[in-house]
Amino acid sequence: MPDAFPRAVGVQDGRTPVIKYLLKRAATYVVMIFLTTSAGYFLAVSTMSPSLIEQEKIPRPTPEQVARSLASKNLDPAMNPWDRYVQWLTGVVTRWDWGLGPDGGSVNSAFGDRVWVSTRLFLAAIILTLVIGVALGVFTAARQYKASDRVITSYSYLTYIVPAPIAYFLVQLAAININDASGQTIFYVTGISTPGMDPGWPTFVDLVAHYVVPTFAITLVGWGAYQIAQRQYLLDNVNADFVRTARAKGLTRNQAIRKHALRVSFIPVAQTIAFAVPAIFVGGFFAESIFAWPGIGFWSIDAIGKQDVNAATATLAYGSVIFAVGAVLADLATALVDPRVKVS
Amino acid sequence: MTTVERLHVPGTRAPGDAVLSVRDLNVRFNSENGVVHAVRGVDFDLMPGKTLGIVGESGSGKSVTSMAIMGLLPDAAEIDGSVMLKGQELLGLSDSQMCKYRGSELAMIFQDPLSSLTPVFTIGDQIVEALTVHNPKMSSKAKAARAVELLRLVGIPSPEARLKSFPHEFSGGMRQRVMIAIAIANDPRVLIADEPTTALDVTIQAQVLEVMHKAQEETGAALIMITHDLGVVAGMADDIMVMYAGKPVETGTVDQLYYSPRMPYTMGLLGAVPRVDKSAQTSLVPIEGMPPNLLTAPTGCSFAPRCPLAGPECLDGEPALLTVADDGGAGHRAACVKLAQLADVDVHEVFKAPPVPVSRFAGVPREERGTVLRLNDVKKHFPLMKGSLFKKRIGTVKAVDGISFDVREGECFSIVGESGCGKTTTLLEIMEFNKDQPGEVEIGGLNSKSAVSGSQKQAMRKELQMVFQDPTGALDPRFTVYEVLAEPLQNQGMPKEQIRKRIMELMRLVGLQPDHVNRFPNQFSGGQRQRIGIARALAVNPKLVVLDEPVSALDVSVQAGVINLLDKLRAELGLSYLMVAHDLSVVRHISNRVAVMYLGKIVEIGDVDSVFDSPRHPYTRALLSAIPVPDPEAERTRERIILSGDLPTPLDAPQGCNFASRCPIFAALPEEKRSTCLDLEPPLESGGTDHRFACFFPDRELDADMLVQHETADAGGL
Amino acid sequence: MSVVNEVTAEMQAERLEHDGVVISKGRIIFRRFLRNKTAVAGLTLFLFLVVFSVLGQFLTPWTKNDIDPAYIGDAPSAEHFFGTTQAGVDLYILMVEGLRTSIVIGLVVGLGSMLFAAVYGCVMALYGGKVDKVMLFILEALIMMPSLLVVAVVTSGGSVGKASLPSWLTLTIVLLVFNWMGPARLIRSISMSLIERDFVKAARYMGVPTRDIVRKHLIPNIGSLLVLEITRGVTLAILLEVSYSFIGVGIKPPDMSLGILIGQASQQVSSFPWMFWFPLLAMFALTGSMAMMNDGLRDAFDPSSASVGRTRKRKARTAQEKTA
Repeated sequence: MPDAFPRAVGVQDGRTPVIKYLLKRAATYVVMIFLTTSAGYFLAVSTMSPSLIEQEKIPRPTPEQVARSLASKNLDPAMNPWDRYVQWLTGVVTRWDWGLGPDGGSVNSAFGDRVWVSTRLFLAAIILTLVIGVALGVFTAARQYKASDRVITSYSYLTYIVPAPIAYFLVQLAAININDASGQTIFYVTGISTPGMDPGWPTFVDLVAHYVVPTFAITLVGWGAYQIAQRQYLLDNVNADFVRTARAKGLTRNQAIRKHALRVSFIPVAQTIAFAVPAIFVGGFFAESIFAWPGIGFWSIDAIGKQDVNAATATLAYGSVIFAVGAVLADLATALVDPRVKVS
Repeated sequence: MTTVERLHVPGTRAPGDAVLSVRDLNVRFNSENGVVHAVRGVDFDLMPGKTLGIVGESGSGKSVTSMAIMGLLPDAAEIDGSVMLKGQELLGLSDSQMCKYRGSELAMIFQDPLSSLTPVFTIGDQIVEALTVHNPKMSSKAKAARAVELLRLVGIPSPEARLKSFPHEFSGGMRQRVMIAIAIANDPRVLIADEPTTALDVTIQAQVLEVMHKAQEETGAALIMITHDLGVVAGMADDIMVMYAGKPVETGTVDQLYYSPRMPYTMGLLGAVPRVDKSAQTSLVPIEGMPPNLLTAPTGCSFAPRCPLAGPECLDGEPALLTVADDGGAGHRAACVKLAQLADVDVHEVFKAPPVPVSRFAGVPREERGTVLRLNDVKKHFPLMKGSLFKKRIGTVKAVDGISFDVREGECFSIVGESGCGKTTTLLEIMEFNKDQPGEVEIGGLNSKSAVSGSQKQAMRKELQMVFQDPTGALDPRFTVYEVLAEPLQNQGMPKEQIRKRIMELMRLVGLQPDHVNRFPNQFSGGQRQRIGIARALAVNPKLVVLDEPVSALDVSVQAGVINLLDKLRAELGLSYLMVAHDLSVVRHISNRVAVMYLGKIVEIGDVDSVFDSPRHPYTRALLSAIPVPDPEAERTRERIILSGDLPTPLDAPQGCNFASRCPIFAALPEEKRSTCLDLEPPLESGGTDHRFACFFPDRELDADMLVQHETADAGGL
Repeated sequence: MSVVNEVTAEMQAERLEHDGVVISKGRIIFRRFLRNKTAVAGLTLFLFLVVFSVLGQFLTPWTKNDIDPAYIGDAPSAEHFFGTTQAGVDLYILMVEGLRTSIVIGLVVGLGSMLFAAVYGCVMALYGGKVDKVMLFILEALIMMPSLLVVAVVTSGGSVGKASLPSWLTLTIVLLVFNWMGPARLIRSISMSLIERDFVKAARYMGVPTRDIVRKHLIPNIGSLLVLEITRGVTLAILLEVSYSFIGVGIKPPDMSLGILIGQASQQVSSFPWMFWFPLLAMFALTGSMAMMNDGLRDAFDPSSASVGRTRKRKARTAQEKTA
């Protein structure tokens, strides 16, 4: 008979300890990140031409000036791409130097704070998306075919056909309208902080207040998929043989479902974290563009517009790392909820 | 009959003594196609400490009955009648009220041990949960101690350590033991077992049945044993109830039912089961047709459409259960209007069992027949890898380890053994017919080492066809029967007009209506699908048909028809069969020769009667003794060999005898002789004409701990 | 007994059709699809949008290069059905063109990536071993690449002079490259389980060549999944185009698309609301029509007994009605 449960990741022979398994996975991902980043570098070098932007400067520089200026930043378009790649890679590997932009700004320093601004936003959104999605999934599964289930599940299906940035924009629009209607700033719809705040507590409160709208927007369109998945997995398990066994022991139907079916239904949901993280990452990029947040997303799209090869490559590497972290987290979460994957 | 009247139906015992009384139980479900009346008026009384066997085929309502008693049916089910547990009415209680009884007074063991335990909780937690629900004040120390006690009772080695194990670390047999431990945790008065051993191998089934015996002894519980296997209940039950189409059609003591059945359905069922302990002299009794679908109320006897004795009187209202007057009277009741005339009829005559077909090869001695298949030292070893990034070979699984045999024209050669013994892998190795495999396969004179060209392989494929175990999976759901049957013919390049003619021929040959060729497989029953599979295998006129468990997915009554068909085809078409099966009764019925496999090796091989009547290898002896036979007297007095432990994995098998770890002879051997078994591999030695086995000490005595005999009829250990 | 006769007669008629098994199967699928009202509505809506995007330009005298000085930033009127932009260009004609771009991108990416995924997935499943391992590695590496950034990089280069591909074509290619991995992995696992099924084994043991097994057993059995993945892929491509263009990294003017229209209008949504809402509604109509078709397609391709039962029941009912 087929296994009643999807085969958990990492169950090779039942003996591989998870930590070792995760390390091996991580090693594979390092190789993949290296490859995607290198591919990204070549792609950027071959499609971008910073000299065109440079020439739009006022006063207009001579082509020689432009070439000299770019060459000094290791951005010489005349140089062959492979040599540029070797030079760039040497910088990254030996000095952790991700290069300079056409304007001479260092990618490392530009990344600096922005990484934390973005990562904080992603983290808050991922946690909220999962928690709300799973909670609503359980809630609706318990009320299958009742009005609340129909409304929530229909909403979740609706999120499948709405482009994320438009949803964020509509949220922003609604917040602006509420602000206008009330005549005061209830919601902060752009930026991450109000300039000139007192340090300490007021700054923190201000920061949190600025997080509200973007986090809400990302979560609002993100949870749908998890609600549907969790609802389905739980319903799949409600009539499982082991729930019947629990009832035969003397547990009521609800007790048996709460204790046995629920826990088992978390296993496939944990595996989908691998997809949640990239989705939120992309969502975060859109959100930063729309809410004008000084994060990686906003900055990199701007930098790519300015034909900044090194910024583009660095962001690509950052994205690959986030995706890999998502995959590893999914493995870890699965190991936590499924004893068939052993933690040592 | 109204409920009140029914309550006055005189039974063997006064209902007052009964621990469980069921009266006029009816269950209806709403389905897409209408209301299904799944259980239609079940009555029985269960006496303390006694065992009631409920026997029926799939869809007979036996499992629904048990779920109704437990209160585990979905809310949508409509249940009426009465279920009294020690005088307390259970029907109509709410889920939470029922919980007082479930798991304490009333416990249940389910069919599939693999899915019946929650995968994410430890065995210990799941047993303790059963204790906690009914004994909230019990200390956790006491609960842990009780859990250990229970695991020891059901025969789990080192129970303290095993408490922390998860279900996936247990084999199927072990998990079923855990299920039994959970069921008896609170000393129930009534224990319901729904096909508890159907999913298990024969030797494991024998172990689990022993554990159930023991559990019943310990708790003194009354047992309801639900099964389709007339052999399993023959030795265990005191009373039997046979169900058909949601209704009990015959009830009585086990001896009455088996030795003088009165309802034609019961008679047919008993005649449909092949016997492992007797050589086949007659064909099996086939029961034609299919059970009714229970969407519409039957106007006459529900078995009438399939009954060879049915007359006009059978169509006039459903017959009630009537007492069989001439059979000692007490308690034997059957639902048949003709029961008085059925005292001493021959079931084979009644059901028109076909005559035993005689093959044209029957008179030819085996040595003079041509060889259609020959295997020489065939091996299949799988590397066992470990690690995910850099794989390391940590060992070898010897799934098939040096198998040699031959199959002659017109004979049926069977390979038997438990799951994991390598019998199916052997079949697949033959079907692959690849020159890179170790050992030689020779089919119709073509050798796997030399026949490498495409046309030679194509010629080989014409000689050899296969019938699969699962008739549903073997047919593409998107093909009509016509397309299914045309595929091998098209592949052999037959012109369209001939294909059409051949398909009509095939349909008639396997007993299907030729005008059904445009239907899809899902419009047929399981037995019919298997007939389609057989027709496909025969399409290109092969000499040898490979049968992989051809009837194990079918109900008993359907199985008989398919076995008879296989028998007939072999005789009429002069076919040879190579069959793999775990059901030794079926093997005995249709085979001429048999090989017993254990961990990739043949341990005994020879003429089927010789091997089954005087087995020499201890594994063959254990296997044969583990198979329940539908004969209560024989079951009770038989001496059984209960092997200890599970089948070991064939990973780096020891250099000596593979079976030593479970062998009852080895266990009783004096220390100095044991080294022979451990160091040397026993060769296949001749034990008479066409009978060879691989054991150094076949005639030494068996270990007494592994022998079980259930005394006399009445004591029965109950 | 006339009911029985009627039913047998119908069966006989069906048997006469037998020679064209494939055709009659297609007809069964089509009939089942038509039975689902929502799906039919979805299909109708989709076809209407396609026709509109192709022929809509002939219903108005305006082109996207015309500027109507009399109606600058004007609300919908008889002259300009959907109003004009703040530059005085007719929104109707822009939407016809935008919709066309979206539909083309959706269909090309949806069909193309799914076709590629089917081939890639089947090859992985059929060959297994090293081939499977290498192909899986490539697949996973591509999944690791944030496609949003690749789109941004590639389309940013093309926009600044230089003879290069139009931005909608660049976007289509990038979407094609980055949208086949998920379905390919799904098709791989389903094909793998199909190959293990007994009916495929049976065909192999009969000596049926691999290409026939793929054509007759594998493809039909993953067919329903493929169809669903195609509608999903089309929807996803349309959504991605809108998303990317909305934040300014996908399609760039002078190419027109729904995403660009929505993106440009979002800057002045309070002053020119029609410029925002009309393209948005068009996009919802497009993705919505796909979602509406999904259920019907799944039912139509499902060989499970339920739908067959329904068919038979319906036949029996019509037979009854005839006799009544």
